[in-house]
Formats: sequence, C-alpha cells, structure tokens
Amino acid sequence: MTDKDSKDGIYPEPQFDRGPIADIASARASRRQFIKGVIASGVVASSAGLMYGCSREEVAASGGVERMLRLTINGETRTVDVLPNETLAMTLRYKLNLTGTKLGCDRGECGACTVLIDDVSTYSCSTLTHMVRGRSITTIEGLESADGTLHPVQQAMIDELGPQCGFCTPGQILSAVALLKSNPSPTRDEVRHALSGNLCRCGAYDHYLNSVMRAAEMA
Amino acid sequence: MAYKLIGSNFVPPDIRGKVTGSAKYAEDFRVDNMAYCRLLLSPIPHARVRSIDTSRAEAMPGVLGILTAEDVPAQPAPADPILTNEPMFIGQPILAVAAVDETTAHDAIDAIEIDYEPLPFCVDPLESLFPGGDDARTDGNVVDNRLTGPPSIRQMKWGAADFAAVNEGQLPTGEPAAEWSYGDIDAGFENAALVLDESFVTAGMSHHSMEPRSAMAYWQNGKCFVFGSTQSQSFVIPDLANYIGITPQELVYVAETCGGGFGSKGSAYPVMSIPAHMSKKIGQPVMMRISRAEEYYLGFARTGFQGRIRLGFAADGRITAADVYIVQENGATVGFPDWPSAGETVSILYQPPAMRWRGIAVQTNTPPRSAQRGPGHNQTVSAVEPLIDKAARALGIDRYEMRRINAPGREARFGENQAPVTSCYLQEAMAKGAAAFDWENKRALSGQRNGSKVTGVAVSQAFHPAGFAGFDGIVRLTPQGQLHVHTGIGNLGTYSHTGTSRIAAEVLNCDWENCVVERGDTRKNLPWNIGQFGSNTSFTMARTNYVAAMDALSKLKEIASIDLGGEPDDYDIGEHRVFAKADPARGLTYAEAAQRAIELGGKFDGHELPDDINPMTRESATALAGTGIIGVARDNLPITGQPAAFVAGFIQIELDIETGKFDIIDYLAVADCGTVIHPQGLATQIKGGGVMGFGMATLERHIYDPQNGLPGTVGLYQAKPASYLDVPETMRTDAVDEPDPQSPLGTKGIGEPVMGAGSAALICAISDALGGHYFNRVPITTDQIVNAAAGRDQSHGPLQVNTA
Amino acid sequence: MSKDMMAGFELFQPDTLQGAVDLLARYGDEAWALAGGNDSFDWFKDRVKRPSYVVDLTGLTELNGIREMADGGVEIGALTTLTEIENNSLIQGRYSILADAAGRVASPQIRNTGTIGGNLAQDARCWYYRYGVDCYRAGGDTCYADTPEGQNREHCLWGANRCVAVSPSDTAPAMVALDARMHIVGPDGEREVAAEDFFIGPDIDIERMTVLEPGEVLTAIRIPADWAGSTFYFEKVADRNTWDFALVSIAAAMVVEGGNISRIRMAAGAVECVPRRLSVVEQVVTGQPKNEATANLAGQSSVRGATPLNFNHFKIPLLQNLVTRAIRDA
Repeated sequence: MTDKDSKDGIYPEPQFDRGPIADIASARASRRQFIKGVIASGVVASSAGLMYGCSREEVAASGGVERMLRLTINGETRTVDVLPNETLAMTLRYKLNLTGTKLGCDRGECGACTVLIDDVSTYSCSTLTHMVRGRSITTIEGLESADGTLHPVQQAMIDELGPQCGFCTPGQILSAVALLKSNPSPTRDEVRHALSGNLCRCGAYDHYLNSVMRAAEMA
Repeated sequence: MAYKLIGSNFVPPDIRGKVTGSAKYAEDFRVDNMAYCRLLLSPIPHARVRSIDTSRAEAMPGVLGILTAEDVPAQPAPADPILTNEPMFIGQPILAVAAVDETTAHDAIDAIEIDYEPLPFCVDPLESLFPGGDDARTDGNVVDNRLTGPPSIRQMKWGAADFAAVNEGQLPTGEPAAEWSYGDIDAGFENAALVLDESFVTAGMSHHSMEPRSAMAYWQNGKCFVFGSTQSQSFVIPDLANYIGITPQELVYVAETCGGGFGSKGSAYPVMSIPAHMSKKIGQPVMMRISRAEEYYLGFARTGFQGRIRLGFAADGRITAADVYIVQENGATVGFPDWPSAGETVSILYQPPAMRWRGIAVQTNTPPRSAQRGPGHNQTVSAVEPLIDKAARALGIDRYEMRRINAPGREARFGENQAPVTSCYLQEAMAKGAAAFDWENKRALSGQRNGSKVTGVAVSQAFHPAGFAGFDGIVRLTPQGQLHVHTGIGNLGTYSHTGTSRIAAEVLNCDWENCVVERGDTRKNLPWNIGQFGSNTSFTMARTNYVAAMDALSKLKEIASIDLGGEPDDYDIGEHRVFAKADPARGLTYAEAAQRAIELGGKFDGHELPDDINPMTRESATALAGTGIIGVARDNLPITGQPAAFVAGFIQIELDIETGKFDIIDYLAVADCGTVIHPQGLATQIKGGGVMGFGMATLERHIYDPQNGLPGTVGLYQAKPASYLDVPETMRTDAVDEPDPQSPLGTKGIGEPVMGAGSAALICAISDALGGHYFNRVPITTDQIVNAAAGRDQSHGPLQVNTA
Repeated sequence: MSKDMMAGFELFQPDTLQGAVDLLARYGDEAWALAGGNDSFDWFKDRVKRPSYVVDLTGLTELNGIREMADGGVEIGALTTLTEIENNSLIQGRYSILADAAGRVASPQIRNTGTIGGNLAQDARCWYYRYGVDCYRAGGDTCYADTPEGQNREHCLWGANRCVAVSPSDTAPAMVALDARMHIVGPDGEREVAAEDFFIGPDIDIERMTVLEPGEVLTAIRIPADWAGSTFYFEKVADRNTWDFALVSIAAAMVVEGGNISRIRMAAGAVECVPRRLSVVEQVVTGQPKNEATANLAGQSSVRGATPLNFNHFKIPLLQNLVTRAIRDA
C-alpha cells in the first residue's frame, strides 16, 4: 500500500517482496514436485492447513538448506517439511499439532513459547527450526510420563494453584524444569532469576515460586 | 460459619490442562482445510480511505478472499467498527486477507495499495478542548459513554479564558459534559484547616492480556461455530451474534479457556467476528491469529486522566469537602465511563460530607479504550491516595489514622445519591493489615537511610463495586447421582466458574467428587449469566447458583413428599439423600429422586419452566429437560444497596536515590470480599492484582509522538509489564472474611481493588521515601525518580499525556 | 501495516568460517549474517529488513568457546553465548565486569541463544528506527527522535549527529573498559580493531553501529591480561530488572595500590551512540586516593558537555551517580 499524500512519507512504506531468484527452473520444478509428493504422502503430521504453504514459489539456491528435517521432539523423531524462515514455535504449533507451546508475542519478549533445547530454556519463537535439527527438543507435552504421571513441577503447580489464566504456564514450567535439572535445590531468589524471562500478566509469580520450591522439595 | 465446601481449597477441573498444555485457547483449535486470515492495519492516526486496489493481492496464488468494511455490518458511531474506511488510530483494521498460509496473507497485504486522505489527529485531550484544536473524529470530540443510555458524540470546545485562568500545571476546568454534587462544598472548603488543590495525570496503559485475541470460525449445518477469547461465556452470545449478523440460536461459541482479559475481553468485541465473516465468504474455516502488536492496537487500554481535585481537611484530618474534575482520554471510539467512577471512588473511600464531581471524556487517535481492572477507580486511588498522605504530612497526622478517620464503615454512602452499600468491612481490613504489617513500628522506618537507599512505607486503600443480581442458574441432578452445575460464566483465570459452582453443591450438601461443572461451550446448555468483569462474579453467581440449587432442593423435597408422604418441609438432605426428618431411614437417594423427576415430568425435570427466566436459559433448560431434576431459577432475591469490595494495602520499599531504582521489601494486602470461598484463589488474586498495580504505578504507559501520532510503546517489551524481578520475592495476603448479608453464603467479588491497593501503596511509598515529594502522576518512572532525587525538574509538562 | 510474518528467504548453514564469508560475499547486500537472531528476527518479522539470503553462523563451532591465551589474557569466540560467558569461571574470576554485563542482558532465554558477537554488533534500539520509519539510520533523510517534541527519553547525551540513538549493548562498555580487541574476518582477509574503535557513531557512518563492513564477520574478542583481576565495577540501570535495555550503564576496571588509583578504564553505555570511554574521568582520578571525594569529583567531571534532549536530562544525574559509585563502591 502507499500513502501518497501523507506527511513526507513518515509512515512506513512496505517494499514489495523481492522474492528469491527464480532462475533454476528445472531444479525448482523437480524439487517442488518432490516436496508436494512427500506432503501428500502424509509425512507431515498435521491434518490442518499449513502455516507455511507449499504453494509459494520457493527455490533452493544451491547450498541452501534442505526443507525436510528430522526433529527429535519429546524423545520421538518426527520428519517435517520446514521452510527456511519458519520458527520452531510455528513448526510445533502448526505442523506437529503441539499447541501447548504458546505464542504470546512472537518477539522473545514474554516467554510463553519457552521450550528446552538440549535442556536449555529457549524462546521457540526466536529460533529457526532449521537451527535445531539434531538437537533434543522438549515441549510441555513431553513432561508427563506415558502413564499420565505428572512431572513434579506440573504436580506442584496444581497443588499450589500456580496458574491463573494458564497461558504463560507451559513456558514457566519449562523454565523451571531447566533450572531444576542444573540446580536441583535452588533458593527462591535463584528461581526468580531463572524464570525472569517468563512474564505472567496475571501476576501469579508468588504462586509459581511456591510451586517450583515445592517441586524442588518433592523431587 | 463452617461450610463443607465453601472456604476450602479445591483442584479446579481446568488446571491439569493448563499445566500439561492440553487446555485449548482460541488459536489452538485446528480443523481441516483451515485458511489463515491477517489484518491490514492503518498506518496513519486518522485518515479517510479514498481507494483500495487489491488487484495484485487477489492475483497472488493462495489468496482466498478479502474483506473490507463494506462486507461487514457497520456499527453505530461511536462504537468500534469491525473494519473501517476511516481509521482513527494507527493500527485500526481496514481490511482482512485470507490465504492458504500466513506468509501469503502478509505478502498479499504488502501488495495492496490504499490511497489515504490524511485527516487531523490529536493525542492530548486538552489540545482538543482548546479552541481551534484538532479533533480525533470528524463527528465530534467528546463522548458520553455513561451506561445510562446509548453513547453519543458531540463537539465541545472550552474557551481560551478557561485555559488562561489557571497557572501552569493546573487543570483548566471548562464546561463539563456531566456533573453532580451534594452538600455545600463552598462551606466545606471555607471551614477547612487545609485545602489541597492538586492537578494530576494518570497514563493510559494497555491490558496486554497474555493471550492475544485470536479467533477461529466455520459454518456448519446452518450454524456458525466460533472459538474465541473472552472473559465471559453466555454474556458474549447476543453481541457476537449481532456482529456476525445471525441470531443467538445460530451461534455455537466455545471459550473454555481464556488467557487473560482484565476487562478487555469482557464481552464480544468486533474483531472477533472477522473469521466468521471471512469463513462465510470463502467457504472454509478461518483462523485469525492476532499478533502482539495487534493486541496492542486492538486489545484496548485503560483510559487516561488529566484530573484535578480539591480536598478540604479539618485539623483532625477529617475531610470536609471534595471537588473532582476528570478530563478523560478516551481513545477514538466509545471507550468506557471511567470518568464518573472517579467521583464514586472519592465519595466512598473518603466519605466527604460535601462533594462535587465534574467530567468530560475526550477522543484521541489512540487505541480504543475499554474497562481495565478498576476502570476509573484505580486511576483515582493511584492519584489521590498520595494526596491524602500529603495532607497528613501537612497536618502532622499519621497516614493510617488519616485514612481510618475518613474511611467508610457500616454506614458507608457513595455516589451522587449517597446510596448505601450491602456491606463494608474496610475498617476491619485496615486494622487487620496494620496489625499484621506492624504499621506502628514500620512507619518509624520512613526516611531511614542505608547508604544511598531510603526506606519508604505506606498504606493504601481501594474500592470497586462487587456484584450484580437478576441472572439465571441451572443445576441438574442426574439418575447417576451426580450434580451438574451449568454455569454460563467464562474462564479468565480466576477459577470462579468452579468456586461459585461449589455454592450450589454446598446448598445441596453434595460431595465435590460427584459434581460436574458444565461450562465454556454453548452446546453445554448454559444459562444466561452476566460477564466476568466488574468484580461481580463471586456475589452474582453465589446468588444465581444459590437460587437454582434451592429450586432443586425444593423439588427434591417435593418428590420425597409425593412418594413417601407428608409435606416437603418434613424432609431434609444429607449424604446425597433426601430423607424424612422424623425417620431418616425413610428417603430417596438423589439418583432415585432424579429418576422419579423424569417419571413425574412437569416442573421437576424441566418440562415446565419459570416465566421469568431469560430466553437463553429457557432454551438451555428445555434442551436438558428429561435428564433428571432440573433446578432452574432467576435470582429474584432482594437487593438493597450496592455490593462493594474493599482492599487495604501496606508496603515497605527501599529506594536508591542515586539510581531511582527501588526494591519492595514487604507488601501485604487485606481484602473485604465477604465470605472467602476459595482461599488459594483469593490469595493469588490479591497478589496478582498487586503485581499489576506495581506495573501501573511505576512502569506502564502509552507514548505517542504528538507531531505525527506514532506509537512509542507497541509490544510487550515497550509496555514493560512487571516481571518476577520487579516484584517482591514474597507477598502477604489476608481477608476479613465477614459475610455480606445480601449474598447467600456472604461472598462478594474482589478482582479489581486488589490492583488499586498495590498501585496506590507503591506510589505513596515512593513519595514517602523521597521525604514527601509528590509527583501527581501515574506512573512514576525511573527517570522521574532520578530527577526528583537530584532536585531537577521533570522533562514533561505537568499535564502532558502520552509522553515519555 | 502489521507485518508479523517473516518474508521468505533462503537459508544457508555453512560449517566453516570461510564458507560463511564466501556466502556473504556472493550475495552481497541481499545477504544477512545470523547468530542468535535476537536482533534479526524482529526486523524480519516486521518486514523492515528483508534479506533474500540468510547465513546461519551458529554451526561454526570454531567461533565458539573461551580459551586462555599464552599471555594470560582470554580469547572469546564471537559465537559464545552470553550464558556461557556469565557462568564461565575464568571470566568471573579475572574479568568479572564482563560476566556481570553478560548476565544482565535481556532475559535468561535470550542469553541462552544470544552471542557475544551479536550483543556487541547489535543495532540501535531507538523506537522510531525500530518502528520502521525512513530516518537517516534507515537510509532516509530525517531524524524523528531529535525533533521539538520527539519522544527521546532513551537517547543520547553526546555525539548527536543527525542521529541520537545510543549504543544499547551491555557488554560493549565492559569490552572497552577491558581494552578488548575485536578480531574480524572478511573477504579481503583478517584484521584486529581495538574495542574503542570497533564502535562508530553517526559522524562516521550513520547507517552502521560498528566498523564491520558488509561481508565481514566478528570472529573473536581478545581480552589482554592488563586488567585481569582488577577492582571492577559494573552497574546497569534499566526500568525493569529483566529484559530492558539500559537507561545508563557503567563498566570500570581499576587498579588500586596503596589506597590510590594507579590506573583505570571506565566506559558508559546508553549515553552515546558508542560506548563512551570516560577519558576525562580516568585522567581526573588517576593517582588519586580511592575515596568519596575522588568519587564525587569523578561523577561531576563525567557529565561535562552533556547535551540533553527533550526527555533525557535525567541521564545526567544518573550517569554522574553511576560514575561516583564506580569509584566509591568498587
């Protein structure tokens, strides 16, 4: 859109997408057919529409990443078609139907999307999925045991009424799990600092801290 | 009073989903063939759209549909439109694009060309009131949004003389849009030993609910299914149906879990209808993900105040008169009536014998306003409580004593008509808090130095109306012996859906393991209830669930008397049985009675219904007819007076005068919320409200560049809501726990004054630490504290709004 | 408006530094070097910056790690995360201001992926610039912040030159105080630049924050032994105690002998477009006793020549106080 008569163009004008160079026609065609075929065969888990469609003109310039990725999530290996510009949060939520990881801001400013990458707390909204292939990814869905026994942090959050609206809760839990793995007996102040990258708009910080301290005791 | 369930903690049925990630919020729903919809937002604070060229966008592969303002029902001004061709704030949606994926939708948005005619804009109400000043709208600049009638807009300008008549830093007081008064304020001021005349500013701030208001919709078999994010459930239906252009019966609405609202999702809001419109147009389900920036633009905000208050004090500290003027920054649309609530708040907390309130709500080209946790009430306590401290200092009176003298008691009156409240235990809350906080000794720490750190202590108070009446309840006893409570209230994170449902279980003496809360989905056959806002739920739903449960109870007894003889009053209940008082062995189990109800039909199993229930309740009860004992009733219990909630706050901080940074050493708040129904739930509400209050007090505000209307605080980072490290490590809470006489079991709401208590306490403590330096501004940010401690002027003008 | 989805790009994940440099050279101004992404993704998601080719450097393990050097100094690979630096015993033991500074960046999750190289080379955070306006720094011909009513609370006290943005990095002042040297590799070879010279203001190039030319990669930071184990002071004042960029920050390394300050380096963050080396303060206090009088004198001298804007004069007493504390409380 343009705003031709606005004050000296102070309002940002978008540039039309230059797009990737479309000059390797035959390679592109065969790659696109391959991808479409793979998707049609149901490799991608989600039955819902894709967040990042395959209908766009995407070219792989030579040396660029392969779109099919093997990801290790909650101990399972999943094969997913992932676009280069796709964030881990989007892959989890829209291609793997793991909607426990939430999008609060998509900017690394809230922590609702926190997952563990090799046991390290990370904002999945600020991670390209391609950057974590080969790493071990843990989401909220991966914490309870197969028989439904909750992780101590999850159970403690129930006992202490940790969450209010619950939207920030998965991220809080993952940050706490990461902390307790490296520091099983933290002080309350250490917990505060470890979770300081997780916002709670409901302000349930006190009950979250009670929960994590209780989980540390229980474990 | 010892209850079986009330006053005990419980495991809410939705908490497991929250800790495992299986609880679904609007953006978590997935259906086959779902398209993705994104919005094109105005880049200009005020403009007219001259033309829209979507040709390049429509030609893009994967673009499925475009909605413009012509495609959706227009809303009567000054209501928020769904889409608009005259955007009135940066970020107002002009059109929506649906595509196979979000990237394509965005690429399409980038390819749309819009020709805008820029119009005048305004980000400061006083500028708009000044003669010749720019107005935010073309149809007026002042809105009357009081809830007494439909909102109206008009043009009002003050005179240059009004502005010339005041000193710099004083709010000019031109012609108000509304006013009321009682008593003789002139005499009150004349007889005062001390008169304060203070002007102040409280900033607009965004709700920034953690969950942005995404929505998903599809059409199936003549019904529209919407998965949305609202604080409320039943209350949403009529307005949402209206936005979509269907009848309530054609709407299926699912809002089982809502990631926070704080007043911004109290009922339906226009943008949540866009997926329904788009889905109808393109014939596919549509998911509309709202980004955080969009949540800033569209997710509402608290109104701002430019205010002025005159307070007269007798030598002993008793207030003799109050004169309040509020100029409200209202955004560009209907906004919310915070401005009259300011008057109510002053009237109830300080019980002035004479008072005048005047106000005017002025439009600005900034995000739309809605209620935000204590709308008007919490701006008022944040601005006025420090002035009470100022008077106390001047008169040499202890600040707690100052409040105690003026605070409402049993005979509390409030507002224009000096109406009564149903109960008030603020004095008790204050006394309880003062004892637990050790005000007696802590106040002596005021001003104590520890290197560059100074201690500040303060006490605060807050108020909010806390209940409604006249809504419907449905409960159901099944042949399996279970109690199902059908509750039409939403799930904004307070667990009140379960807490208040337990009241029905209490009345029917049920074991909680045999109770089911039915909620969050219109297909659960829910009654008509009011929304979850205004701190009302604990009071309103106590009455509502009480009458429904009592109806079920009377039917139990009647069935027993039919089958076993005698009169209904000969029977009692216990252990899931209705039995003869004279011979407890003679009775029926609830399961048996429910089976009998089905056999008897009529009123017992919902085939005959009371005349006075709402049509929505009637439909729901009818759908449930024949499934057991149906207890259904409208709350017609008497109500005389306004239910009211109060909170007293106590705080101790250490402020570093070299850096402007402070630590909260101790915070304690005591609630008057009637009978406590859920101790853990209350504790987290008091603390959570405190946290939000600390943010309001010292961190959060809108910034707009007045030269171009550009927004400086889009996004969570710039909004700066308080984090773990900005609040004390531990907070303390307590409650008076005295029953409200007009609420069965005595409960009142509490969700809003908990924020005001925190905000006001912190602001007062900062002033206290600085030796009685009053900022007359909310928030007090780091730079302001640094300037004050260094003896420098502030950078902003005293009445400047939307400013750094 | 409202661009909240990155446009498409091609992604490369080289596993050698030379490979990365070659890719950046091949694609020129359509290329973007990506490390942790905490700066980059905002630009991409808002579609203000739209590279066609993104080169992911995080696979370059050779650029990761903290190594002791023969001369007793330390070399830090540019891709070392801020968390690693914060927790490293060598850095904590010998160069604690850098550990402190790294530990105050943003939030734990950001520190877990954020790299020291990214933190040092990060772009300005002026809210107008980040909003996407066509200001000088963005290649346009105006400044929005330095206007009669510009909302410039977070902007500079010195060095205004058509742009008034500040250096937002917490680690940058620490690097200047430690006399660090930046090791850079580019298509034309390698070079080393002193930390003080690494950061540039609008007077040199209004569109860049550092001397990194297009195609160049910051590979390592070498900290000499000169200040190892000194008396250090780091303090960052920000609105919130997490996430927020500094309103003002201070980093100081000082050697005290016999109660006197024999030598000192001090730099302030967020008061100028570069970390501001407080040379005047250094001169004033060298040879003086480490006491309150010296500290106050230091504070007063640190703010000479400060030119406040509409909303940032609070930074003057704030800087003064931080400088005072850096001498008094170290």
